[in-house]
Amino acid sequence: MTGNGEAVARGEGAAGRRLRISVLRYNPQDPQSRPHLQTFEVEEAPSMTLFVALNDIRDHQEPSLQFDFVCRAGICGSCAMLINGRPGLACRTLTSSLGERITLAPLPFFELIGDLSVNTGKWMRGMSERLEAWIHASGEVDIARLEERMEPELAEQIYELERCIECGCCLAACGTARMREGFVGAVGLNKIARLRLDPRDRRSDADYYDLIGDDNGVFGCMTLLGCQDVCPKNLDLQTQIAYMRRKMLRAAILPAS
Amino acid sequence: MGIPSDLAVGAALTKRRSGRFWPARLDFLESASGLFLALFLWVHLFAEASILLGKDAMYRVTMFFEGYYIFGTPYPIIITLFSLFILAVVVLHAVLAVRRIPVSYRQYRVYRDHHKLMHHEDTSLWWVQVYTGFALFFLVSVHLYTMISQPANIGPYASSDRVVSEWMWPLYVLLLVTAVVHAAVGSYRVAVKWGWLPARDPAVGRRRLKWLMRGLIVFFLLLGFTSLGAYMKIGIEHRDQVGERYVPTWQQESTPPAGDMGVRP
Amino acid sequence: MKVVYTDVLVIGGGLAGLRVAVGVKRRGLDALILSLVPAKRSHSAAAQGGMQASLGNSAMGAGDNEDVHFEDTVRGSDWGADQRVVRMFVNTAPKAVRELAAWGVPWSRVARGDRESVVNAQKITITENDDAHGLITARDFGGTKKWRTCYTSDGTGHTMLYALGDQAIAHGIPVLERQEALSLIHDGGRCHGAVVRDLITGELTAYLARATTIATGGYGRIYKVSTNAIICEGTGIALALETGVAPLGNMEAVQFHPTAIITAGILTTEGCRGDGGVLRDVDGHRFMPDYEPEKKELASRDVVSRRMTEHMRKGKGVPSRYGEHLWLDITGLGRAHIEKNLREVKDICEYFLGIDPVTEWIPVRPTQHYSMGGIRTDHTGQSPTLKGLFSCGEAACWDLHGFNRLGGNSVAETVVAGMLVAEYIADFCESEAGAVSVGSDLVRHFIEREQRRLDELLGRGEGESATELRDRMEAVMMDKVGIFRTGEELESAVSELRELLVRSRNIAVRTGTRGANPELVTAYRVQKMLKIALCVAQGALLRTESRGAHFREDFPQRNDRDWLKRTLATWADEADDLPSIGYEDIDVNAMELPPGFRGYGTRNHVDHPDTETRLAEVEQIVDGLGAADRFRRQEALMEYASLLPEKYRGRNERLLEKLP
Repeated sequence: MTGNGEAVARGEGAAGRRLRISVLRYNPQDPQSRPHLQTFEVEEAPSMTLFVALNDIRDHQEPSLQFDFVCRAGICGSCAMLINGRPGLACRTLTSSLGERITLAPLPFFELIGDLSVNTGKWMRGMSERLEAWIHASGEVDIARLEERMEPELAEQIYELERCIECGCCLAACGTARMREGFVGAVGLNKIARLRLDPRDRRSDADYYDLIGDDNGVFGCMTLLGCQDVCPKNLDLQTQIAYMRRKMLRAAILPAS
Repeated sequence: MGIPSDLAVGAALTKRRSGRFWPARLDFLESASGLFLALFLWVHLFAEASILLGKDAMYRVTMFFEGYYIFGTPYPIIITLFSLFILAVVVLHAVLAVRRIPVSYRQYRVYRDHHKLMHHEDTSLWWVQVYTGFALFFLVSVHLYTMISQPANIGPYASSDRVVSEWMWPLYVLLLVTAVVHAAVGSYRVAVKWGWLPARDPAVGRRRLKWLMRGLIVFFLLLGFTSLGAYMKIGIEHRDQVGERYVPTWQQESTPPAGDMGVRP
Repeated sequence: MKVVYTDVLVIGGGLAGLRVAVGVKRRGLDALILSLVPAKRSHSAAAQGGMQASLGNSAMGAGDNEDVHFEDTVRGSDWGADQRVVRMFVNTAPKAVRELAAWGVPWSRVARGDRESVVNAQKITITENDDAHGLITARDFGGTKKWRTCYTSDGTGHTMLYALGDQAIAHGIPVLERQEALSLIHDGGRCHGAVVRDLITGELTAYLARATTIATGGYGRIYKVSTNAIICEGTGIALALETGVAPLGNMEAVQFHPTAIITAGILTTEGCRGDGGVLRDVDGHRFMPDYEPEKKELASRDVVSRRMTEHMRKGKGVPSRYGEHLWLDITGLGRAHIEKNLREVKDICEYFLGIDPVTEWIPVRPTQHYSMGGIRTDHTGQSPTLKGLFSCGEAACWDLHGFNRLGGNSVAETVVAGMLVAEYIADFCESEAGAVSVGSDLVRHFIEREQRRLDELLGRGEGESATELRDRMEAVMMDKVGIFRTGEELESAVSELRELLVRSRNIAVRTGTRGANPELVTAYRVQKMLKIALCVAQGALLRTESRGAHFREDFPQRNDRDWLKRTLATWADEADDLPSIGYEDIDVNAMELPPGFRGYGTRNHVDHPDTETRLAEVEQIVDGLGAADRFRRQEALMEYASLLPEKYRGRNERLLEKLP
């Protein structure tokens, strides 16, 4: 067994390319501003990510360029944007995985703040409020005492769904959401699936039906699977949505149960 | 340390309304009606393909659908009634599906741009469904109107004559392609939509379903076009005797040598 | 002049800030959170490894309790911590975990029966008891005697942040995103709120509150390579510093994490080593046992980081175009374990390095990771000199961590301090001192001052480039105020940072927009960051000893005689180009655990004159109690319960310690 990080040490895919990065620029705050593509040339460096490239542009070419990065490690979900037309996390996209010409645009569907920066946070908060997306427990828990038990497998299953980082890629990739702005998207449906799985949330299917049992919820989903195919966390959204669809149908057919 | 009880009870409970279960029912009906139509289409294509086994085979199939083997005599009215039923299902399916399609030019453009930019198969497949569905509504209506109005005109010669001499083949070519594609894509989408996957791993299941979808398209296009070819061949050969009805071979032996010519005045 | 009133203004929407807001809201006060980013995008999400709490549920944690956790933490801090605060913390941590469990965190659970694990690169079998099945489990982390770190696979911080973020939403607490506090509004003795800039519109608003809480995390980004999110620039802490009144504590105590991947500086969790990963050098040799035969890879972070640097200096590093590194080898853990419990690590390796850690070694090196220093507070989280200003979490020097923090204690601190400080804030607000009494002249003064500063930056046609100053500062901090420090280097660092600070007063912003303007943001942040950097460098220069994460090659001994004290930095005058440094003694005679050998390397420290007396005293007290239980013994040594809010004073139930 030998160490093989040498690929990194060598600086894979760095053969001195000159990247041409076109950014869709627009500042809605500025009445003079019109949407337009601005192209920047950047010398590619080894292991360069779009995070590095965009900061390079801002530091050395265009200080007014707006974009959002926080963790720059693929965990916080701030930097979703359209990379050559597809939603993805810019911070963990290696430029070596793209061609020399790269087009970046802000995530559609969300309110544009400026250039590549969009207001996903505002939408996510609204969605959480609309879907009452928190644990609805019954009564107080005495935290000095042993915690309620949970099957280890169940905890893992819940975590699996909880891995969503609310980056907004699923909505930007969703034809349904693009046409129907009230749609809660995979992020909302997944969240409800996660809460439903959790025994600490005491709501019944009839309660969940009230939240997602309409055409802005699970029955609005047209199964275009853009969400499934772009999710940076590889969440199995397709299965969760299908599952919720069956459960909600059941709740509709057998309302008493 | 739970959360205050006023938060524990969802505010949603207070906004229950009658009719709130309709979205679920409609969504299910859309899938169910679509799946039914797809199954019907496949059976239909097989039945039609009976011509490949010979004119007698196709004749028997026709007789079967007209209830001959049950009532002892054929009732073309069954075809009329069944066609009416199918028409009703088609209309239901169309009405349910129309809820999904872009209702404004803005929505249309948003989706079009979106699917062009995404390069994403499933997103594009739905676009295919919108177009084929739209086309099918007209094509199927014409076809069904024929079946409803002339239920007796089904048979090795009657059908062939319609294809060739009545110039229906262009319609059938379009109908075949759109219907086969729409049915296969739709069935794939229904399976994924409700999570009926032929594998534990959803990625594998979806891949398999997609291969099945492609397989169904290829198979039924081949079957359909071969059958259509057979009808066209018969239709061309029978061009001069339009209107004449087929007499199965087992009946031909007991009739005068003039054969077909003698059946109808 | 736009003014917004609330009861409790919370600056920072990470775990600590959210928990404070939820806590005061439950006490019936209005809370309002200001955040640079959506709350769920805070850096708390990045804490992969876990949260320490002595539940003692799992077999490897059996026998754990507050006492063991207390001792680990105090030792880890190299006796720099406030031991009463540590006691408050260890007693509340189990409650915090259980509260979060009730709020939906899917903590990983104990599964009954045998399971394979890797400890010290050896496969062992752990047998979990039936009666522990389904309770919250724990993993091993550096510097702890028991397996104590509760976790959710490898997304602990994420799940905690989402649970708390959801609670904030459930409680209807507004989180105003993309809002940046530029200065605190105060009269020299009482803090009244903050002047806040909207990062989208550029508008300034005065937020006035009975209590203002800073929970803005650490200052890792003053270093060139840091595992911190890019928003962890220390500008929140600088708000307190710039009042000229509120001191910052122990700013020189900066922790380096042993295993961040090279190039990106992204952290691979300590869980890698906790679960059995080992460190290897250029020859593939596992070198940690040579230095630390007992704890090996799981020695305290500062120790492992230093040993790694030491080993690289001996020429055993792996050369690469990004500098030298070492290998982290987790291949022994197996695919199933890595894909389930260390998935984020696997993702990071794939996305940022293009390697598979199941079969390949990960290139790592020590990287700036945590700021023990911060806004000095008393045990209630309040600034000792500026009333109404509270702080908690990484932004604060509460002082739980002293000179080195244990892995898993920071995430725990955020929520524990959040719980406790929320109660003290509520008490404060309900008291007479908490009444609002601020004149509009004062508010106008601060708003106008901030507006003037922005105008100067925007209006100066020619001047310094903010990015250039920032890059230089980052390099100076990395090269001269890093893991190994010397007087000579620190002096040169201080002098260059002073020069940069002076230059920063002449920054010119090219983009003229008043609204969203990233260049302007960099400009005013760099001015603040340089002050923070100077506090770190100057504190490090003056502290002529080695303690915890602060290591002076020219003064390698821990020196309790002269340095058992907390550094306090204030910025007395805006025109100054150096912080004023003062000290606060740590009272040996009040310690439950008097200073001793920390247990790494060779015993090598200068004792405090009081240590011997106190040790004798402790022994006498313990002997005098005879067969008394651990609670009575503890109480006799150092009473702390009265400091806790009443609702959190109780004991914690464990499988082996049932509550009546």
